[in-house]
This record gives sequence, C-alpha cells and structure tokens, in this order.
Amino acid sequence: MRSAWSVAKREIFSFFVSPVAYVVLTVWLVYQGFTLYMLASYFAQSQYDAGAATQTPVTLFFGGTTLFYVVLLVIASILTMRLLAEERRTGTLEPLLTVPVGDVALVLGKYLAAMVFWTSLWVPTALYLVILKQYGSVDWGVAAASYLGVFGIGVFYMAIGTFMSAASPNPIIAAVLTFMLLGLMFLVGVGEFIFEGPMRDAFNYVSVWGHMSDFSKGIVDSRRLAFDASLAALALFLAVRVMQARRYE
Amino acid sequence: MLRVEQLTKKYGARVAVNDAQFSVNSGEIVGFLGPNGAGKSTTLRMVTGFLTPTAGRIYVDGVDAVAEPLEAVKRIGYMPEGVPLYPELRVREYLKHRAELKGVPRASIRKRVDACLEQASVADARDRIIGQLSKGYRQRVGLADALVADPPFLILDEPTSGLDPNQMRQVRDLIRGFAGKKTVLVSTHILPEVEATCTRAIIIAKGHVVAEGPLDELRKRRGAVEAQLTIRGTGAAVEAALASHGAVTGVHTTPTAGELTEVRVGLRDADRAVEEVVAALAQAGLGVRDVRSAGGSLEDVFAALTATDAGAQPEEGGAS
Repeated sequence: MRSAWSVAKREIFSFFVSPVAYVVLTVWLVYQGFTLYMLASYFAQSQYDAGAATQTPVTLFFGGTTLFYVVLLVIASILTMRLLAEERRTGTLEPLLTVPVGDVALVLGKYLAAMVFWTSLWVPTALYLVILKQYGSVDWGVAAASYLGVFGIGVFYMAIGTFMSAASPNPIIAAVLTFMLLGLMFLVGVGEFIFEGPMRDAFNYVSVWGHMSDFSKGIVDSRRLAFDASLAALALFLAVRVMQARRYE
Repeated sequence: MLRVEQLTKKYGARVAVNDAQFSVNSGEIVGFLGPNGAGKSTTLRMVTGFLTPTAGRIYVDGVDAVAEPLEAVKRIGYMPEGVPLYPELRVREYLKHRAELKGVPRASIRKRVDACLEQASVADARDRIIGQLSKGYRQRVGLADALVADPPFLILDEPTSGLDPNQMRQVRDLIRGFAGKKTVLVSTHILPEVEATCTRAIIIAKGHVVAEGPLDELRKRRGAVEAQLTIRGTGAAVEAALASHGAVTGVHTTPTAGELTEVRVGLRDADRAVEEVVAALAQAGLGVRDVRSAGGSLEDVFAALTATDAGAQPEEGGAS
C-alpha cells in the first residue's frame, strides 16, 4: 500500500499547489461562515426556550437546512473530478498504469487523496464553533457527532466521485456525472418526507438528510456509517473494474 | 529479453496490430520502425501492460506479460509517446514519485534519482518546474523516469519526436550510450535515427511485422536494386549491350544533349551486378562517364515494405 500512499501524496500536492484549491476553500469557508452567522443571528433574535430546544445553530448548521446540501453536491463534484479523469485527459494515465502498481492501489490512493481534500474543508469550520462558543454555548458532543456524520458523507460522496472520475474522459464530464448522481440520490432521499411506514424508513436510510439529522442531534447510528461504508466499497469496486476494463478498449 | 508471438489488437472492427511476431535479445538496441499509424504505439502499450492484447503472447525476460503485467513491467523502463508529465511538479519531485511507484527501496531513492538525472543529462534542471521546461528537457525527464528504477529493458516510444536537430542528436547519443548496458527497443518513423542508433530493426506496417533483422541484412532485403549511369553512346547501343545480361532486369534510356545518354538499369542483386554491367558496357565500346547505384539503402527497404498507402492511415492510437 506504499504505492497507494505515493499516488495520494502526488494528488494532494498537485491539488494544493493549484489555485483551484484555494478558490474552493475560500468560497467554501465564506459560504459556511455566512450560513452559520445567519443561523446564529436567527437564534439570537428569536425567543425560544434554550433548555427544551432540540434545534440549535450547530444542529441546523450540520444539515438542518438545504443550504448545506446544495453546496455539498457541488463541492464533492469539484474535489473528485480531477482524480483519474485529469490523468486520462493529459495522458499521464499511461506512465501511471505502466508501473508495478495495481488498479486497486491506484484507486485507493486517489480516494485517499479525495478524503484528505474533504477533511481539509471541514477542519477549519471547527474554528467557527470555537467562535460561537465565545458568545453562547456549544454542545461538543453534538459537534463531534456532527463531524462524524460529515465524515461519513465524505466517505461515500468521495467514493462516488472517484468512480465517476475513473469512468470519464475528462474532469468536466466527471464533475457533471458526480453532481447528477449525488443529486439524484439526494432527491431519492426526499422520499422520506412523502411516504409512510416501512417505505419511509427505507427512504430515510438512504437519505443524506436523514443521515445528518441524526448525527447533528448527537445520535451516532452505526447503521448510517455502515451504509456509507458499503456504498463507498461498491463505488470503489466499480472504479477498479472501470480501470481494468480500459485495458481492453 | 522480449518475445512477442501472434500478437493482435483490435479496436472494435479496426485491427491495429495483426499477428505480430518478433523478439528482442538482451543487450541489443533495436529500432521499431514503421509509418505513423502502423501499430507501433499499440504494440508497445501491450508490451508494457497499458493495453491488453486481443490475442497473442508476450514474454518479458521470461515473464508472461499478459498474465502477470505487474511482474513483467518491473523489468521495463517505459517512455510513452509524447512524454506525458505532471507540469506542476519539480523534476526531482517527479522522479522521486516515480521511483516510489516503481518500488525503489526508500533508502536508495535519492541515489537513484541523482543517477538517472545524470544519465539522462537533466541534472541541471533538477529543481525546475516541469511545466516550464522546453520540449527537449521534458523528453529527457521522460528518459530519466524510464531509467530511475534501473531496469534492464528500456522501451522508448518516439523519443525524438518534436525535437530540434540538436536535441535529437543529444537524445540519440544518450540511446547509443546504452549499448551493452541495457536492452533498448526504440520506436520511430525516422530512418536516420535507426541507422544512427540501432543494430537491428523491426519494420511494421499496417499492423504486420514485415521485416526483422540486422540493418545490413535488411538493406539487402530488397530484391531489385538500381544503377544510374551516364554513357557516351546511343540508347540503342546500350540496350543492345545489356540485352542478354543475366543480372539485368530492365533498361531505361534517356538521351541528353550531345552524345551522352542517361541510363537506368534495374538489377537483380546489388553486390557484383554493378561491376558486371560496367564491364559489359566497356566491352561494347561504350564510355562510362558516371555510375551511381541507387537503392539498397534502408530507406528504400522501408519505402518498399511500407509503401502501400501508408499516408492515408488514421492517426496512431486514436482509438485508445
């Protein structure tokens, strides 16, 4: 797995020396900061019983509003689009596939890099919570659970993005495909608000909204994480198969 | 070092490589020669495991490269056509990355990077960003990459394409320098390159291997050779003198101003035929002013073997 790490290192390096990384990171942090500011202002103005409240700025920040998901779909697409599609577009896939590194190590390395990107977006947001703490109260247990939930979403979003990047001839197509597939899965998740009974549970299970509404209340449900992990495993498996199939073109 | 048997690659209905068969012995520098679109890159991509053959077998140093591509490729230093590199990396960073991927032990990476920088004569560019390098330098970075794990077998796909004459000469000198140390298979469509660097050539056209052998043998490969002579005498007299000669396959005369005649004589065999023709003409009392033997060069062999509407072939590797 040394070669997977080598692939990841190169990818991470290339990402963080490109201006794209800083544009994405800046837009992301401004967007998230503004969202949290609005939520905090809203709670500061409205009168509510702090003791009985199930909703806090932190709960709403982590997936309580659609603001959260729209940007997530876009960001996930941008973070993963270059992974393999860029190598294919520029031809660097050829030297990369003619070294003694298996397709599994290659895909895992790329995925690992994507997880590092994802994590690097979220780590600075912890600072917002620290700031929030200066003016009110933050339940760190809830915050930790929320971050775990966010990481879980990353596990599966980054895997879908890796798969789409493996299957696309260039990064633009990869980004569009990732956005469409993740958007579709988000919409399927909306089914939890439409159906009743077991159907509702089923839709809730696949819904990122349902996923985050648990974690952002501090509920760590291992089924959610199992879902993320198994979907990620499936997507990465397909990515490996796509890389293998390419040799038979 | 390399043995290829009945190798075939189809892109859908198009056959890029058709039943190719050749071998490369250890220590040789072999030219892999063919017009654009002949299937050179496709063949090399199969040898290096980038593509899987539709049919056929490839053995690299005895390892079945179709069944065990990762094992086979450990023995190969490959420089793909166009030398794709990461423009944002520095030369030494790139080579370090490549050394890691190729499984060079951590402790010797630095030593290997330094050595291959030296061998490919890019040591002066080690700290430069690849995207800012000239094409000649990038080509040599590709060569350094091929060398970084110190493999016994180098495969270089069009290593001089897009270079100016000086850079071409430098790259050729480097390749020649591998003689006796490495086995090299170098693809090109430029003949002088093969004549300058290789001891043996494999000629491929339309996916078929049409000739394989040492350069001297290939030069003789072409059955008919031609001699061009300038004769003092009439065309009719020349034709009469050569009509019954066994080595002559055809005579074509063109009268010029004055008493001279330009003659083109088709010959069966290059070696002695020219001498015999001159002797026959002298015996007939015709003055031989000038003799130039044409044909028998590698260029002619190449042209004869690959001539069939090669220009109309689609661009190589376009389907991959």
